[in-house]
Amino acid sequence: MIEAKGVCLQYPDGTMALKNIDLQIVPGDMLYITGPSGSGKTSLLKLLMGMEYPTEGTLRVLGQPIAKGQDKGIRHLRMAMGPVFQEFRLIKGRTALENVMLGMRFLNTTHGHLKEAAIHTLARVGLEHKAFSLVENLSWGECQRVAIARAVVRKPAIIVADEPTGNLDKHNALNILALLSSFRDKSTAVIITTHATHLIEGEEDVKHIRMDNGNIHWERPRMT
Amino acid sequence: MKNFIYNIGYFLKETKTILQLNAVSNIFSLLSTGLIFFILAMVISGWWVSSQIVEAIEEEAEISVYYEESMDNYEVTQLMERLRIVKGVVEVRLVEEGEAYKRMEDILGKDAGVLTYLEDNPFNSFIEVKINMEEMNFVLGKIRLVTGVDYIRDNQEVLKRIENISQILKLLGTLIITAVGISTLVIIGHIIRLGIYNNREQINTLRLLGAHELFIAFPFLLVGMILTLGGGVLASALAAAAIKYIYAQMAGPLPFIPLPPQETLVSGIVIIVIFLSAVLGIVGSVFGLSSAKK
Repeated sequence: MIEAKGVCLQYPDGTMALKNIDLQIVPGDMLYITGPSGSGKTSLLKLLMGMEYPTEGTLRVLGQPIAKGQDKGIRHLRMAMGPVFQEFRLIKGRTALENVMLGMRFLNTTHGHLKEAAIHTLARVGLEHKAFSLVENLSWGECQRVAIARAVVRKPAIIVADEPTGNLDKHNALNILALLSSFRDKSTAVIITTHATHLIEGEEDVKHIRMDNGNIHWERPRMT
Repeated sequence: MKNFIYNIGYFLKETKTILQLNAVSNIFSLLSTGLIFFILAMVISGWWVSSQIVEAIEEEAEISVYYEESMDNYEVTQLMERLRIVKGVVEVRLVEEGEAYKRMEDILGKDAGVLTYLEDNPFNSFIEVKINMEEMNFVLGKIRLVTGVDYIRDNQEVLKRIENISQILKLLGTLIITAVGISTLVIIGHIIRLGIYNNREQINTLRLLGAHELFIAFPFLLVGMILTLGGGVLASALAAAAIKYIYAQMAGPLPFIPLPPQETLVSGIVIIVIFLSAVLGIVGSVFGLSSAKK
């Protein structure tokens, strides 16, 4: 599903964001990426989304090489991913339902069931009653749930969430992590970045990498 | 394609939302494109009218064909027939000696008295030939070869000057229309680019979700089309009112100017402006979109 070998990412200003990353994620995996701000978590997600290209090494996501000149393939790859952005990136002036439906409009799905699927997903994140509210009238937490609904309604192969617990208290953060992990199944992997390591301490059957200054350290399973 | 058709309702709704969300900016864009097209419409109208005037002058270019004095009436009639069939000849008319004398009296005005000192009418009858000025040299060459023609007074210098003026007018008209057309294209492209810039976050999000460029761009193309077509309609209305006013002002004091019929001019301008606004809207939108992508 995801295979990285010796991946490095250096920004044009010379900053080495990722150093010699090896990574293998298979369907059904739940991967937590933790680490302090600036450790390279978001850079790694950017690579996985094809927003940046490795400056060294090779990276394949769902079989698609992440490299320059692969625009068409990367666009198709993005269609198979469910991103939950740190700032949500919801489209203003549209309702929660329209935002969720937007995630599916350009996929080769049956358009007759588009609205039905969106309402069903909003119900799953507990926002059915807010389906017709404009996103600017929703609370921060509700917007986050709309963003999750938009990501998962596409039935993606990989769900990627960047710092979904960022501004939440422990109770709400655990709820969000539980919600995201509920979409994990044998064909869907979930990748979550967070700087709150304590939130995942009790979780079982998950993979966990800790990032530090562009390097990764395997916490679970331990690499020898 | 199937996906695109399914999404037509979405595109229209999205276009409406984009227009509503930036209502003030879009109203100003529509007004400014309307004014640009109005300027273009007035330039085209001016070019059209001046072309019509030049055409009328060209059509009325006259030369005087003198024939051998020995020719009788029948032979003169035969000569006129031979002249009539020359390509580029518009009209052929015989000017008798008496009429030639009268014309000279008119030209001399208060000095016409000098003609009374002459015992006989010194003027010969001649054939007045109206020619198409664009083919002047060709026609003159052909007429010189017609049997019975003695000599030709062609006012070639005057005709040449009119032809030069007409060419300058055509060139100026083409240059102004081209310049205004390019400015229109750049300004519309820029307006659309600004619209895209205002919505760049939405565009980037759609790209990250895997939407293809046409899906992202189509509502913006529609917005561009609506703004430019709206501007075209506004410009047409303004131009129609302006032409009506100008005609009303010119009809009385300047009746000799051969203006094209008002209805023909207005309907022609409306068709041209609407057509141009649609074409420039599409080209400007594509130009704006491609420049915004970089």
